[in-house]
Order: sequence, then structure tokens, then C-alpha cells
Amino acid sequence: MNDSILVIGGGIAGINCALNAAKYGTKVYLVDDTASIGGMMARLDKTFPTNDCSICIEAPQMFDVDNHENIEILTNTEVRKVKKVNGKFKVKLMKRAKYVDEEKCTGCGACVEACPVSIPDEMDGKVGGVRKLVSMPFPQAVPNVVSVDPQCRHGEMRKDGACIGDCVVDCSQCRECPIALCVKACEKEGKKAITLWQANKNLNFEVKSIVVATGITNAKPAGDLLGYDVYENVITNVQFERLMNAGGPTAGEVIRPSDKKHAKKIAWIQCAGRGLAEGRGVPYCSKICCMIAAKQTIITKEHDPSVETTIFYNDLKAYGKGFWGFYQKAVDNGVRYVRARPYEVFEEPESKNLTLQYEDLETGELLKKEVELLVLSTGIIPNTRNKKLAKALKIELDHLGFFKEKDPLISPLETNVDGIYLCGGSMGPIDIAESVVQACAAAMKAVLRN
Amino acid sequence: MSKDVRVGVFVCDCGTNIAGVVNVPEVVEYAKTLDYVVVADEGKWSCSVDYLTKLQGLIKEHDVNRVVVASCTPRTHEPLFKRATKDAGVNPYLLEFVSIREQVSWVHMKEPEIATEKAKDLIKMGVAKATLLEEGQEIKLPVKTDCMVIGGGIAGMNAALHIADQGFNAFIVEKEPQLGGLLNHICFISHDNHKIQSAEILKKKIDEIEAHPNVKVYTSAQIEEVDGYIGNYTVTLSTNGTNRKLDISTIIVATGMKEIEPEGQFEYGNDSRVVTQLQLEKLIGAWNAGHETGNVELHIPNTNLPIKDVAVINCVNSKNESRGCCHVGCHNSVKNAIALKTLNKDIRIHILYRDLSMIKEEGKALEEAKRLGVKFLRFPDDQYPEMKKENGNLKLKVYDILLGKEFEITTDLLVLTTGFTGNDGVDEIKGHLKVSTNSEGFFQESHVKLGPLEFPADGIALCGCAKTPTSFKESCEEGIGAAMRASIPMKNGYIEADGIVADIDLEDCNQCGLCFERCPYNAIQVDDDKQPEVVKALCKGCGLCSADCPKECISIVHYTDEQIIAQVEAALAENSEEKIIGFVCHWCALGGVDMAGVSRLQYPPNARLIRVMCSARVSIKMIQRAFDLGVAGVLVAGCEFPTCHYISGNYAAETRVRRAKRKLAKKGYDPDKLWNVWCSAADGPKFANTMREMVKQFL
Ligand SMILES: Cc1cc2nc3c(=O)[nH]c(=O)nc-3n(C[C@H](O)[C@H](O)[C@H](O)COP(=O)(O)OP(=O)(O)OC[C@H]3O[C@@H](n4cnc5c(N)ncnc54)[C@H](O)[C@@H]3O)c2cc1C
Ligand SMILES: Cc1cc2nc3c(=O)[nH]c(=O)nc-3n(C[C@H](O)[C@H](O)[C@H](O)COP(=O)(O)OP(=O)(O)OC[C@H]3O[C@@H](n4cnc5c(N)ncnc54)[C@H](O)[C@@H]3O)c2cc1C
Ligand code: SF4
Ligand code: SF4
Repeated sequence: MNDSILVIGGGIAGINCALNAAKYGTKVYLVDDTASIGGMMARLDKTFPTNDCSICIEAPQMFDVDNHENIEILTNTEVRKVKKVNGKFKVKLMKRAKYVDEEKCTGCGACVEACPVSIPDEMDGKVGGVRKLVSMPFPQAVPNVVSVDPQCRHGEMRKDGACIGDCVVDCSQCRECPIALCVKACEKEGKKAITLWQANKNLNFEVKSIVVATGITNAKPAGDLLGYDVYENVITNVQFERLMNAGGPTAGEVIRPSDKKHAKKIAWIQCAGRGLAEGRGVPYCSKICCMIAAKQTIITKEHDPSVETTIFYNDLKAYGKGFWGFYQKAVDNGVRYVRARPYEVFEEPESKNLTLQYEDLETGELLKKEVELLVLSTGIIPNTRNKKLAKALKIELDHLGFFKEKDPLISPLETNVDGIYLCGGSMGPIDIAESVVQACAAAMKAVLRN
Repeated sequence: MSKDVRVGVFVCDCGTNIAGVVNVPEVVEYAKTLDYVVVADEGKWSCSVDYLTKLQGLIKEHDVNRVVVASCTPRTHEPLFKRATKDAGVNPYLLEFVSIREQVSWVHMKEPEIATEKAKDLIKMGVAKATLLEEGQEIKLPVKTDCMVIGGGIAGMNAALHIADQGFNAFIVEKEPQLGGLLNHICFISHDNHKIQSAEILKKKIDEIEAHPNVKVYTSAQIEEVDGYIGNYTVTLSTNGTNRKLDISTIIVATGMKEIEPEGQFEYGNDSRVVTQLQLEKLIGAWNAGHETGNVELHIPNTNLPIKDVAVINCVNSKNESRGCCHVGCHNSVKNAIALKTLNKDIRIHILYRDLSMIKEEGKALEEAKRLGVKFLRFPDDQYPEMKKENGNLKLKVYDILLGKEFEITTDLLVLTTGFTGNDGVDEIKGHLKVSTNSEGFFQESHVKLGPLEFPADGIALCGCAKTPTSFKESCEEGIGAAMRASIPMKNGYIEADGIVADIDLEDCNQCGLCFERCPYNAIQVDDDKQPEVVKALCKGCGLCSADCPKECISIVHYTDEQIIAQVEAALAENSEEKIIGFVCHWCALGGVDMAGVSRLQYPPNARLIRVMCSARVSIKMIQRAFDLGVAGVLVAGCEFPTCHYISGNYAAETRVRRAKRKLAKKGYDPDKLWNVWCSAADGPKFANTMREMVKQFL
């Protein structure tokens, strides 16, 4: 009898699900389609409502996952096909090539230093994060190995200065490479871990249950929403999180994109885009953005108490344990909360400051506020890869694109397919503690199924 | 020290990562000159399978029984080298890890000679400690498969069923005569636009419980006493005056919550027209019976006072100085307003609120309520509605900030959405289990983010509204999750602790009881003679007790006083006036050090770091030893508040540093040369800056 389980998504929910099941004695395949486990938490600076440092508390769990004999981590791996046979799941996965031999790479970073091309880091985008074409996802990544950008490997980065120049041979034809600087650097270190000729790999196995823990995404502001696409100094709350992070692109300095100067006046707009037409904004309350903003202002004030921070909001969500106290802490630290409906943002051409026009909901007045940096709290949306996965697993999505429970009250975390369970952000906006709770519960259900 | 200590030192090049800066061959030759070292070797990639095979060969060939690996960082590579050491036939606790990449080559890239000297020093310190290392082993404590669930609400029932489904025994202890908790009083439960009769869910669950051969329910039961710890609790229960004993292995706390009765506020208690949401639930339940929808005439119970106007005030006793958001109130007020409107569509309802916390699909319920004509007025946080009675009528004065106007509302029924507190009996449970609660009367979990379903002490899980108000679905999930947490040791049949544990030598112990009080994990038990004993399987090895014991009778395996002081002495044997001793905790502080390394932050090479598991391990004696030897400065570094891998070790360390300063001053040392820094694992710059600053000030 095959007793193993598959956990899809290696964020904090997937990690906790895997650890609980593994400690229980069950073999776990933990799959993530990015290069490292860790999920959103690996990107965060501190965590509300305690301001625990995010990676400090997550990394030990990631190491535990890495070292647990019952867990097999499969990164860069997609679930392709799932078939239920006699109550078990036959799963087909594809491990996309990292063009790196994971056994040999020690994460020393010699290749990264050698790589001549830097491109913007997707997540850090506007706040200036860059990465090389061969890169480590983040310093604490598990597994701690680099991967080569497939665009480079497929010759699409030549115009951007990729070192392979005008070599016309497809990498898959070679078994060594006299040109690529990353290959050379690695060889010089005596490792030969970079294998540009690596191919994708298909994997097949059988499991008794599956847990979906594919997490959340932060909504990108639609086009010119509140000036996002037009003005440099309008950023999202994820980007602000990266700015604050000592391990982020600015080493924790809160500097604005336009002139790299410390921003002294910062405003947050909550529910940015809420209630706009289809495709322009998030139609529902994402429940955690209020606390994210409170956290970001508290940390900003801790860095520099002289920074003026204002939060424009409507209803305050302080629903969880310790959340209200956290909000009060923000107020005590001098954060200004204004109940308002902002409707327009203009850039001051000289200073690149932003002038925000808003209606004060308490007085009804139309007012203006000039700030140096504007942060949009855009809300939490479903992961875009959910659709494909739902199809492979034959489970349902709700009308928003989150995974759907069969019956949230009678059988929470269960889906329309017996043996497939859900946890964490895959079902909707959620904080870390709630994700961990659901992860434990989903693990219980998954290991109990025979 | 036994004569036959034989140390092997293995220094890694890490390709050019280390060897590109540090002169590794020179370091290896130096290592060979150290006492007890019988072999020293250089490895190009020490973590490669090839080299590990060689390393094991050398260990066997030279009969090595203490292993020193000098390479990257123990935070990532110690498990690997521990396994290799073990496979070579040497007890893995006899391995000492020296970090010469993150702490040397990556942070002193431009000073190869100085870096080489520092690497030598660190290896000397490592060898000094290694010679004193003793064997350790993982410790197992047997755990059987009987679990007591305290509280038979929906959380507790879910927990018990999942325990029982594994073939384990679940004992539900419920203080009331029936199971179900709050659900007994709620009309229906709604969630994200789904809705279901509470009675229906409750009946289904209770049927399952009653049919389950592995669940035993004790109703009207009270816990009189709890003795022991995970694996061997003895619980004394009293049910209807008779006492019985239960032998159990694990405990799940699911004692729920209760409404705070708003006694004296808005005439509550004096006027039967003023009720809480829970009381309204009961009324709706009664009205609902027999009627479907439409135009049911509603009356205040036991009177013929008709109800045509209803006012609801949210956030009563919530969101103030002493209490947070009640989490279910907004949702309930809207749910019950819709229920009233469904009973009688002509009823007028005003909901007076501060913020409406309607999440995701609940927004739709809000729209529905508005569509049905429910009116919403938002009052300011600091200006609650006022109530007065006029001619026997209930009149509310409320200022609506959205319309900027004051309104007067006459109401036939006033519903107060009140806050919650932990159930009666929380204090007794707290005493029985040695766990803590917060100021709101809710139990305090082990870690707010990553340990939400348990207490610090092994074997006691926590779920549902006993922790904080949660919705029905969340309570169910918590119950199931708590079952998982409690089941892991029961499934394995034991719990296992890493061998880094405390050990008490009772010879000098004066039974002061400090260790018993201070251990955050309840790992120290005292017998009737106040004699302390470490339950090793429960000990996490933080060392707090050891550093605090006034008689110095507690030692920590792998981090004994002698071993740490040997490192201090080795570091300060030469040029002590140029050196800074840093005690860094394994988790965040070393994480920060490693991050400085990964980021190649260059800082002065004066630091000699000594790893401890928790900053709470650092005793005044260790600090003072460094001063005795003429150190330039001492740093105690731990996790940034409030993070601590051991709950609150860093707070203890902070207090101790303060005490140490006083003591140093008395001895004539400059207390300002003792620093502490609390740094996160992401904060390389903070550690590097601290080093720069210390060097600037002291050298
Ligand atoms: C800006 C911001 C700040 C926040 N701050 C806080 C805070 O301070 N405190 C707090 O409690 N919460 C905070 N949160 C919320 C927190 O990030 C989430 O609760 C948490 O990350 C959810 O964990 P998860 O594991 O469910 O999802 P994620 O962290 O999103 O992880 C999901 C994982 O699944 C992988 N994955 C996705 N799809 C697939 C697929 N098809 N196949 C394989 N793998 C897949 C992803 O690569 C990812 O690794 C914040 C969120 C944001 C956006
Ligand atoms: C008015 C109201 C309306 C609600 N409506 C909704 C809704 O519409 N949707 C929704 O999702 N949620 C709703 N909720 C929340 C939901 O009812 C709770 O989340 C859930 O019932 C809590 O379950 P529990 O098991 O944690 O606690 P409880 O139901 O409180 O159960 C705890 C049990 O433990 C017992 N106990 C306590 N102390 C001891 C002791 N020392 N020894 C032995 N036994 C003890 C108690 O007697 C009780 O039976 C509502 C709550 C209220 C108050
Ligand atoms: S070392 Fe820490 S966990 Fe162990 S007994 Fe002492 S205080 Fe308790
Ligand atoms: S702190 Fe030390 S002296 Fe006091 S009881 Fe514990 S072991 Fe004995």
C-alpha cells in the first residue's frame, strides 16, 4: 500500500503541512513551481501583529523540511496530470530544468558574480530589485542552489548582453560550454554544476492524498490606477515590504524610486481599486491589508520617527488576536489614520512628489495631501496558476478564482474530489497563523485517509 | 580531560570562497600544532560526497574521537557533518563547527593575512571546546495513545473525532450537562454566504461522537487535579460528586469563550428590551419555530410589547484599551439583522457601528442587508451612542460621521454586540497545566504566528475560541489541527529531544526552585522535597536555567560552562586587548552574522564569535571571564524582540546583561564595554555596523 502524500505549494502553509505529516511518519512530496520553497513569507520583512522577523521564523522551518527524511522537496516542478485509480492518485509532474545540477551546486555564488546581465527582479520591480540571469532566489533559499534563467538558456537575452554572444548551437546539443561565463566560473571552483544542456524531467508517483497550498498573490494595480503606471513614486504594499526589508534591494532603506532619496512623507491608500469595474480592482475585502499597512508604518517609524506616515482608509480590519493592540501601537507611534476616499493622484513635475485628492469621510470636505511616496494596498487575489492546477486535479474554483471547498461548514478544507484537501491562501486572503492552523488540519485529513 | 582525546580538524576551501582569501594550507599546518590534534586536512569541497568519504576514512585511520569542521555555517551544514561524523562511528555530539566563510573570508575579503590569523584563532577556539565535548544522545520519552480534550464545543468535538479516527482514545471533559458549547444557543451559523442551522450541525456531530467507540464523554465534569507531563498525566475528574482518575498522554484545551455581560451599560440587566447578540440568537430561534417567513409579529418575550424598531450597537466592550476586536460581531449583527428582516420584512433596523469588518464574500451579506432596508450609522470611536428612557421608550442619540449629523432613534429592542472573554474556569486550567493566558482571559499559544495550536510545553494543544474569538469554520479547523499536533507523539509512541539538554548536579543545589520557575517549557519538575529534576525529553536546551542557577549546578550538554569558557580563553590567549568576544545565539544573531557574510559586508576582523543556542545561555561568569582576560569588548547578541526561538530567552538575556554591567562596574571594569544587540536573521547590516561601532569606540 502506498502511504505517501503530495503537498502542492511550498509557502508557510505547505511547509507546515509537510512537516506535520512527515513528523507523523508519512512520506511527503513537497512540490513548488518556483526555485525555492518559502512562498510569500520569504519576501516579507516583519510580520504583524508581533513584528517577528519573517525569515527568522520561517528559515528554521525550511531547514527542518530540508533535513527531514520523510520529505522530498521538488522545486521548479509543476503538477501536470492527476488520475485517480482505486482511490489513489497517480500523479505526473514535470521538473523544469534549472540548468544546474542540484546535487553539485553548493550555492557559493561564483557564477552569479560572473554573470554579466542584471534584470529587474519581478517582485521588487519598481523599487529597484535586480537579479542576475543566474541567481539564487534569496539567500536562505531551500534548496540552496542557483538556477539559470530559461530565457538566457534559450538565447533570448543576447541583445541584453548575455555572454553566449552569437553562439548558434542549442545548448541541449553540448555537454560542455567554452563560452558561458557561469559555466566557466563554476568549473574554476571545481564544481561543474552548471549544466546548460539539462532537460526537463518527468516524474511519476502514486499518493493517497493531495493537499493544495498554492497561496496568494498581491493584486497589481490596474494600469494607471491612482497613478501607479504613470508616476515613479507610486508603489504597491509588496514593493514597500521589500523596501523595508534589510535583506531587500535597498538593504532596508526606505528610499523612493525617482531619486533614491529617503522618503520623509509617505501615505498608504487602503482598498486601492476596491469596487472598480471588473478587472480593475479587487471586489472584496482582503482582510489583511489593514494590518500590513499598520505594520509598514510602525516599522517605518522605527527606522526613522521623523517620517510622516498617513493611512487613508475606510473600515479598519483588526479582526485577529492582538490586531487591535497593533493598530493602537501604530496610532501611538504617531501614524495618522484618515477615513477618506482618495479619488485622484497628480505628480508634481519638479519634485516628483504626489498630490493626493481625497474626500474626508468624516467631514465631507475635499482635501489635498502632498507626499513623497505613495503606497497602494491593492488587496490579495488568487494565484494565477490556480486555473491550470484545478484542471489537472479536477477540483473546482470559486467565481473569484480561489479553490473551492465542498462545504466549508460541514467539511472544511475538503474539495469535491475525495482525498484532495486545501489550506492557506489557496482558499482566500489569510494571515500566517491561520495558514498554519489550516495546514495542520489539512495534514491531519491527508494522513488519515487510507 | 581524558588523556585519549584525539582531535581531527577539517578545513574547507569552499572552492575559492574560503581559499581565495584565507591561506588554508597555512591554517591546516597551524591546526596540526594545537594540543590533542592528531590530524588536520584541507578539503576543496568538504560537503561533497567525495570529501566526506575521505573525512570518514581519516577519522578511522587516526582514531579521531573529536571532530572540528571549519567551513561555511552550522546553520545550514551542521546536520550534514553530524551525519557524516556519526557514520564514521563517532558520536555526533563530539563535532564542533567553526565558521570561517561567513565569519572570515566573506567579510574580510581585502585582508587575507588578517583573515588567515582570524581563521586560526577560531579553529583554536573550536579545538579548545572540542577537547571538552562529551557524548550526547537523543532522548526518548514514551507516549501512549490516550488524549483528554477539555471542552466539548465544536472545536473540542472535532479534535476528539480526529483523535479517535486514528484508533486512539479521546476523553472529552465537558463542564456542562451537554456537549456543543455556544452552538446550543445559536440559531444558525453563516459563513461566506453559506448558512446552516446550528441544531443540525450539532446533532450530526453529537451522533458521530456517541457512535464512536473510541470517544468517551464526561459531562458535568470538573478537573480537580492534573499531575505529570506528556506521556504520563494523571487527571482527577469529578463528575456529579464522584471522583475518578484518568491516565492520559496528551491534552487538548478547547474551553471556548463567553460573552461579557454588559452589566449596567445601556440599561442591560435592568430592562428586558436590552439583549446581547447571543440572547437575540435564542429569540430568533424561538420566533423561527413554526413560522417560515414574511410578517411574523414579534414581541419582547413574556410581554406583549411589539417589536417594530430594532437598534444594534456594535463593538460594546470591544476595541478599547483593554480588549480587541471580537471578530464575529460585525458578521453576527448583519446575519441577525437579515434574520429579523426575514421574519418580518417591515421591521426597521439600525446597526450602529464603528468599522464594518466584513470579509471577502461576507460583503454580499452586507449588500443583502442594505437591500432589505437595514440602515447603517457609523459613530466615532470615542463617542458611543447614548441611551435614555423617555416615557418608557428606549431612545438612542447617535452621531453619524458619514452624514455628519446627530440622529435620535427610538427602539423597541436594543441588541448589544458585546465582546468576549475566556470561559469560566480558565484560571483553574491555567494553574493545573502551568500555561499562561492574556489579559483578555484567553490562553496564550506558544508562538503567535508559527505555533498557533499549542502551548510551549510539549503535549498540550490549544484550539478554538479558548485562544481568541474565532468563527465556526475556524474553530472546526483549529480542532482538527490541534488533533494533528497532539497525535504526532501518540502516533510515534514517543517524543524525542535533541541531546542538547540540561543536567542538574544536585550536590550544590539549595532547592531555591528558580530553575523550576524559569523554564519556559515546564521541563523542570520538583518533587515533594523541592528537589529539581530535568525531564530531558521536554528540555529544549536553551540554557536559561543554567545561566540563572545561583549555585551553578546546571550544565547544558554541548554548551557547558567549561566548554564556553575554554573558547573565551583560547580566543583571548594572545592580544586580548584587540579582540571582541561575541556570544551569538544560533537562530537570529548567527543568522544576521551569516547574512552579513552572504552580502559580503566588510567589517573589522576583531570579533571572535561563540555560538550558544539562546542568548539566555550566556552567564555573567562567562562575560566576566572575558573581562578578566583583558578583552576589548563583549557583545551578547540574540534575536530581535519579540522573536525568540525559546519564547523569551532574549528578554532574560537582556535583564542578565544589565545585571552583568552592575557586577562588572563593582569589579572595576568598564561596564560600557559590554554591549548587546538584538538582530534579525535578515539584518546583516545591523551586525556589521555593531562590529564597526564597537571597534571604533574601544580600539
Ligand atoms: C505585502 C504582504 C505583507 C504581508 N504581511 C503579513 C504579516 O505581517 N503577517 C501575516 O500574518 N501575514 C502577512 N501576509 C500574508 C502572508 O503572506 C500569507 O498569509 C502567507 O504567505 C500565506 O501562506 P501560503 O503558504 O498559503 O501561501 P504563499 O506564501 O503564497 O505560498 C504559496 C507557494 O505555492 C507555490 N505555488 C503556487 N502555485 C503553485 C502551483 N500551481 N504549483 C506548485 N507550486 C505553486 C508558490 O510558488 C509559493 O511558494 C502578507 C502578505 C502580503 C502580500
Ligand atoms: C452570538 C454568536 C453568534 C455566532 N455566529 C456565528 C456565525 O454565524 N458564523 C460563524 O462562523 N461563527 C459564529 N459564531 C462563532 C462560533 O459560534 C464559535 O466559533 C464556535 O462555536 C466556538 O466553538 P468552541 O468549541 O471553540 O467554543 P465553545 O462553543 O465555547 O465551547 C467550549 C466548551 O468548553 C466547555 N468548557 C469551558 N470551560 C471548561 C472547563 N474548565 N472544563 C470543561 N469544559 C469546559 C464549555 O462548557 C463549552 O461547552 C458565533 C458566536 C456567537 C457568540
Ligand atoms: S535548558 Fe531551557 S528548556 Fe532545558 S530545562 Fe533549562 S530552561 Fe528548561
Ligand atoms: S536554580 Fe539551581 S540551585 Fe536553584 S533549584 Fe534549580 S538547580 Fe537548584
